[in-house]
Order: sequence, then structure tokens, then C-alpha cells
Amino acid sequence: MAAAAYDAIIVGGGHNGLVCAAYLARAGRKVLVLERRERIGGAALTEEVFPGFKFSVFSYVVSLLRPEIIRDLELPRHGLHILPLESTLTPLPNDYLIQWNDHDQNRRELARHSLRDAEAYDEFGLMLHQMARAVKPLLAMAPPDPTSLAFGELLGMKRLAEHFRALGAKRFNQLTKLLTMSSAEFLDEWFETEALKATKSASGIIGTLLGPRSPGTAYVLLHHYMGELDGVFRAWGFAKGGNGSVSAAIGAAAQAAGAEIRCNASVQKVLVSYGKARGVVLENGEEIRAKLVVSSADPRRTFLGLVDEKHLPGPFLESIRRFRFRGSSAKVNLALGELPDFTCLPGRGPHLRGAVSISPSVAYLERAYDQAKYGEPSSEPYMDIVIPSLLDPEMAPPGKHVMSIFVQYAPYHVNGGWTDARREALGDAVVNTLSQYAPNLKGAILHRQVVTPADIERIVGLTEGNIFQGELSLQQMFFLRPVPSWAKYRTPVSGLWQCGAGTHPGGGVMGASGRNAALQILGAA
Amino acid sequence: MNRAIVIGGGADALVAAQVLARSGREVMMIESDTGLLDEGWVPPKVLRELKIEGLELRWPEPWASVPLAAGGRLELSRDMARSVESIRRLSERDAERWPQFCERMARLARFMEKIYSAAPPNPLDIGFAMQARRLGRRGLTDLLRILPMPVAELLDDWFESDALKGALGAAGVLHLLQGPRSSGTGLRLLHYHVGCPPGVFRAPRSNILEILRRMPRVELENTEVQRIAVRGGEVAGVVLEDGRELEASVVVSSAGPRRSLLELIEPGWLDPELARALRHVRRRGVAARLRLQLDRSPGFAALALAPSLDYLERAYDDAKHGRVSRAPYVEAHCDERHRVEALVQYVPFGVESSQLQEKTIALISEHWGDAQPQHAELAAPRELEQFEGWPEGQPHQAELALDQALWMRPHPELAQYRTPIRGLWLCGPAMHPGAGVAGASGLHCAHAILGR
Repeated sequence: MAAAAYDAIIVGGGHNGLVCAAYLARAGRKVLVLERRERIGGAALTEEVFPGFKFSVFSYVVSLLRPEIIRDLELPRHGLHILPLESTLTPLPNDYLIQWNDHDQNRRELARHSLRDAEAYDEFGLMLHQMARAVKPLLAMAPPDPTSLAFGELLGMKRLAEHFRALGAKRFNQLTKLLTMSSAEFLDEWFETEALKATKSASGIIGTLLGPRSPGTAYVLLHHYMGELDGVFRAWGFAKGGNGSVSAAIGAAAQAAGAEIRCNASVQKVLVSYGKARGVVLENGEEIRAKLVVSSADPRRTFLGLVDEKHLPGPFLESIRRFRFRGSSAKVNLALGELPDFTCLPGRGPHLRGAVSISPSVAYLERAYDQAKYGEPSSEPYMDIVIPSLLDPEMAPPGKHVMSIFVQYAPYHVNGGWTDARREALGDAVVNTLSQYAPNLKGAILHRQVVTPADIERIVGLTEGNIFQGELSLQQMFFLRPVPSWAKYRTPVSGLWQCGAGTHPGGGVMGASGRNAALQILGAA
Repeated sequence: MNRAIVIGGGADALVAAQVLARSGREVMMIESDTGLLDEGWVPPKVLRELKIEGLELRWPEPWASVPLAAGGRLELSRDMARSVESIRRLSERDAERWPQFCERMARLARFMEKIYSAAPPNPLDIGFAMQARRLGRRGLTDLLRILPMPVAELLDDWFESDALKGALGAAGVLHLLQGPRSSGTGLRLLHYHVGCPPGVFRAPRSNILEILRRMPRVELENTEVQRIAVRGGEVAGVVLEDGRELEASVVVSSAGPRRSLLELIEPGWLDPELARALRHVRRRGVAARLRLQLDRSPGFAALALAPSLDYLERAYDDAKHGRVSRAPYVEAHCDERHRVEALVQYVPFGVESSQLQEKTIALISEHWGDAQPQHAELAAPRELEQFEGWPEGQPHQAELALDQALWMRPHPELAQYRTPIRGLWLCGPAMHPGAGVAGASGLHCAHAILGR
């Protein structure tokens, strides 16, 4: 048998694979990253889709990227520069709601809608902040397995129980409520302004095929709040140069630490002999040996694609097969000749430099979900919009703009399957809905790119186009992600590890899975 | 004054009263005309404590008859072999999986029975963790996965037949303003399986109320409580409708947490934060009740009109947007005297439902052959509130949703039956294990009072 050429091969050059590679390389391991596509980045990618117009084709904002990763890998030195998004505008038929990062400005605006909500907002923010702090240590943790009697796992559970106990009864109760409630009902307890509740609860449905009234979505809301922590960068931000520069910075950090990155290197199989991973075989037949193989591909691609089933136990395979993806989001990227002019807030104000959320009411979001449940894309979808060219002029030619529209719901399992006609119909629905609020939009569009869940699957390789590598629902979280008893980045095949968002704590350009996996690997050796 | 007053006449209140009386207290029950449910499993602990004999748990046989679009019925029976035969006509694969599914669910239900036989567990308690471990690795994994899961996903994992999934999925949403694709409905499939033989997923009825009512030792008064008197943060007694004040050092209320703490006591005694939390305890009624008399047997004991999970989900969609389901889920039970009682879901509280009676009868009548209705009466949630005293028409007083279950039922600060008013205690369907388990919350509450 040929000697291992590398200590570790990372399958997939998305942000988690790169984070894992960087941490391993920094610890002195000889690491090779294999990326199927012609460039690294996975779903964190910038591409000049139309001449002069650059887009973060898939993921489009940063906020959840763990501050410890930014620090450890010195990402700013490798080119990461985050520009804050200062506001979120929710246009309404005859009015608008705008949430500002600036406290006083935000309070004045909220008071215009409801004095009560303006009063409650600070307390709400404090509570969420406390909850986020309570959950934060869990993000950096390899989840202990409550079903195991192994000493290490028992110790892990004991530490976890101690962590929760230390929160005190009141906060622990709040946390369990937050974990089990729906985002809409959770917000009903705090606010009365419909647009505020809808816009906030929308962050609870991202990446799932659940409506805002389904329990479990309150946690996803908290998951998205996690970024507003730590004081590294507040709220949501936009990476200068698009989200491709996030991957580029992490890739550069990995290379600086000695990792090797190969693009156009599609892994066909993980080599397994005598129950141990020995390396990989590329599609062109090339064999590369390594002591460890770490897959950043999602659980289905890893275990039902890269590894021969005969190496995996039956119950494990059964659990992998029922792991749910159900991609529900799409992207529409527009090249614009002029800025959108919102009827409710005309002109080129500071509001255009922030996010725009099409979420006028919870019922609106639920109606959008209703269609998706039965296999139809929402005719009036929820949208989260940013205009990156206002923050970073290099994204578009002078005087022109790019607009990034996150769209939900666009179910992967659409009736009849995704076709070109379906894709264009989705693009039309998005433009038509948005034009109700900004009538000049239609005339301003120079080019349009529509990315359906099927496209995400085809291009990036995310199963069913799920942006989190698997739904972030309660039964697929923490020690259940992706499979009970295998949530600690290990797999039933010795020497094969997983480090994608399909593992704890999940997606959102967090990088936590990649880091946690690397720390586990280093701890195990 | 060593008197205890128990408000309400349900199984939980009766059990609490009996346990307190047997400990040597003078107990008085104030029973109003609230509609009572004789639904639910009675934990053996209750039977032992009160030395109850002759309890009969009744399930219709078959417990669900589901009409099939292609004609005929799916019949789910207590008899495993008969169910399997009936399922086989729909799907060979489902028939093969049925016994295994029943075995896995029954195992979890036995565990839930233990949890229901005591006050709510503390999830951080090591004892609870050890108890849960006895389920074994697969059992514990199943439990942790299923409790927060949408019942639809659980059933999709196991079965392919729409009719089977519809009948089972209905247990996930009974009396709940959620659809089968909402998270947390998996818990409810287990909840309605508790105390049942393997393969039965509906709460039984029983003669527990009759038995408890026949028991001596407790003074009964049939009237309404106007308010609970509080002095110095401590309960002092109750004031009745007619103005009489009865002194007591202990008051146990089964009138529901919101009513007991926000309406029956004077404002000001509660911490505003708790008062706010109580106002957010959800108790939205979603089911109407149709009663009718037939002239002959309709040919079913329990008819379930829930042909698929999508059917249930669409019925919920209407309710979610504030409408009565255009095609409602109906579950009709018929007794030996040909009296039919049907649950019609979803009918949101306070929503116009004038055509519902005719529509429901038309729906059921397709399946009762030549029988003729002689008398029919439909009560929507608003009427159920008015006549049965169920706030917002919800018989469970607090929806059994994931965030209002176990140690969060109805709210974490009240889950141990104790209230911030010294001497005032809570039991009833809104308290753990609540809704669909008879007598248990009364027992746990009384034990908490007696410091056992």
C-alpha cells in the first residue's frame, strides 16, 4: 500500500472545509483541500455573472461567522472586510417600518407604529441577548450524546446540565420556551406591530420548510440573532467584494498555514479498507492517500455518495436516509440600471444601504408557506433584499447597481420538477411582487439571474438545495445532527470525519462546524 | 382553619379532594356546571392511592374506521392481526411495518406513563436522566427525536398509505391549532397513546367520574365561585356567587390557570411578569361538537374522516387564516343507543359557522347507510365556552403544544401546581400531565400540598 501523502484530505472547498483545513494546517498537519469546481467557496462565492456586475450568487450576507474564527485565522489580514448593514426596511402597502441599528432612531420609528412596542423593544433585545449568550457556548461544543454511557459523554452531559443550571431557573425556562415555540407566537408575546412581528419572525423560517407558526422556528430566529453578539461586528454585514471574499480570506489563511488547495478535483469515492478511510479517488481515477479524510459535503452526499454503503451500519444508513433537506429558498440576482424607488419611502435614502424585507404580515408569510407545502413556489414570496453596490461600488459598473434577493418559499420538490419555465415564473413572481413596492424596478432591470433550489443542488452540490446542508429543525439539531450518536464529527468509518453545516451547529456561513471538527480531530490524535 | 376548598368537578379536582380528605382535612368541593370530559387514561397510581376498583377503560372497536376513496374502510383495531389485515389491503409494506411501529411507540408510551405518574420532571435532574436512560439507546433516541417532530414526518418515515397516516396524524392535532406538519405534534401522538394497548392511538373513555363521585368524605356544593379571597399574599377562602364567604387555608382550583389567577383573584397579587405570561398561555378552541341521535346503527363505532395528512393540513390552513375548515377533520363516535358524538375540527373560536351542522351531517351521512338523524345539535367553540364553561371553547384549558407541555405546562413557574399565592394550588387539564389523562394532575397537586 502506498504511503499516505497527506495527514488529511478535506473534501470540498466551501467555507467549512476551508476553516477545517486552516485549523488543521495551523496545527502542523499536511492538508489537501479538494474542490470539485473551478474555484473555492462552495455557496460563499462571488461571480461576475453579467459583464461588470458581480454577485454573491448564493449566500449574500455575513453575521454568523464565528468571531473566534475571524480572530484565530486573522481573516482581516487575509482580505476580509465587513461593511455593516445599518437598517432593515419593511415596505407596506401604505406605509413602512424601518428598523435601525441606531438605538434612538429605531425607538423613534417604532414609536410611530406602537408606543408599546417601542417600550418592549429594549427588553426584548436584552432577553434575546441573554438567550444568545446562553446558547453561544453550545455552538463551539461537540454535542455530547445523551444516549451513551461512555464516561466522556456522561461528563459532557454533566457539564451541559451545569451550564444550564448556572443560567438560573428563569433564564433556563425562557430558553426551553424559546426552543419549543414558534417564532410568530414568541413574538406575539412581545409586540403588536404586524410588520415588526413578521419581519422578525421571518428569520425563523430561513432555510426550513416550516411556517412562522410552526414550533421550533423561534430557535432558528435565535440562531440568526447569534451574529449580533460579541461586538466584533454588530448586526448583519456585507463582505466587501461579496461573499466570495469570505471564502477567499479563509482559503488564504489556510494556504498561509501550509494547506494545499486543488480545484477541478472532484472526489468520486472515499477509499476504505479494513474499516478505515485511507484516502480518496478522484473522478479522473487519480488516487490520493491520506491518514484522514474529512468531508465537508452534506451527510447525504458523504454517506450515500462518497462512501460505499457496505462500510456503514444499517441503522446509521437508515438515519442518514431520513435526514431531511427539503430546500425551500431561491436567489434572484438583478443587474439594475438605476436604484429601486420605493413608493413608501421615495428617493435615494440611507434605507437603501440596509436590507429590505418583504414581510408585511405573519399571515403573508404563512400564505407564502401554504403554497410551498403543497409543492408550489410562493406567488408572493418572502424576500430579503440587499443592494451590495451601494456599500461596495466595485460590485457594479459606475452608476449601475446589483440587487441580491433571497426568496422563500421555493420548494425543491416543486410539482412537476424544476424546469426553465418554472424558473422564469419564479423570477417573474419575485419581480412582480417587488414592483408593487418599487414600481420603477421592472424598467430598471438590465439582467436577471434566478437560482432555484435545483440549481443550488446542481451547481454547488447542496442536496435538495438546502442552504444549511439539512433543515435546521428541532429533531435535526445538536446531538441529533446529522444522526443521533454521530454528532461529534466522527463517522462509523474510522479516519473519516465530517465538517459541513450538516453537523452541529448548522449553517449560515458560521464556520463553526469546520472549526469544531478540526478541534475534535486534533484532540483525537 | 384546616379546611381545603377544591374548585371544579372534573376527575382531577375529585382526586385532589379525595387525597386531601384522606389526609384528615375537611374538604369542600365547589362544583359549577362546567362540562366534564371522561376522557383519558387513569394512572394506576391514582387507582392505588384511592383504592379504586372496577375502573373500565373503553375504546371503540375498531377504534378508527377510515372510509377509503376506492370504497371499503381501513379498520384499526386493538387486535394487531386484524389491523394488519386491514392495512394490507392498502399497502403490503405498511402492513409489515405496523407491528414494529406499534412496538416502538408502545415502548415510548410506557416511558411517558412513568413521566405522567409524577409531577413534571426537572430536565436537568440527574434522576430524570437516569430514568430516561432505561429506555435504552434506541428508545431514548426515538424519544428525543419524536417529541419535537412534526407528526407528519414521523408517519412519512414509516408508512406510505394516506388513509393510515391521516388517521394516526389526527392524534397529533386533536384540539390543537396546528397542522400535522407543525413541529411538536409528534409528542401528541405519544400523548394519546399513553395507557393504550399497542396499536391504539386515541385516549380511552372511562367510568372514572362516576366512581369518584360515589366516594364519600367530601362535602359538595353546586354553585359558582365568584372569587378567591387573598389576604396578605395568602389564600383566605372563596367567595361564592351568592356572596357567602367560605374560609379555607388551602384552595385547589381546576378552573384553569388563566381564570384562577387572572380572573378569580383580585389583580395586584401577581407579579406583572407572571400575569403577562399567563395571558399568553394559549387556549384556543378549535373543535366544534356535533351530537345527534340516529334511528338505527350507523355501522361504525368510531369513524375518522381524515383521509390524508394533506387533508388535515389543508383543514388547518383555513383555520390559521381565521376560517372554518372547508373540508374539516371529523371524528364521530357512536354508542349502543345510536347516539353519535362527533368532533369537527378546525372551527376557530368566534368564527361564523352557520352551515357547519348541515355540512358535517352530510359528510358523516355518506357513511351511515340507511340511518336517519332524528335530532342534531352542533356546538361551536363559542357555544362550548358558554354552555360547558371551556374558555375559548378549549376543553384542555391550555393547548397541549410543545412549549406548554411537561415542565412548561402551562408555564414553567406554575408547573409544580404551586402558585405565588400561598395556599392556592392548581390542578386540571391545564396542568401536567393534563388533557387526556384523568386524575393525575389532581393526585400530583394533592401530593405537593401534603409535601409528599
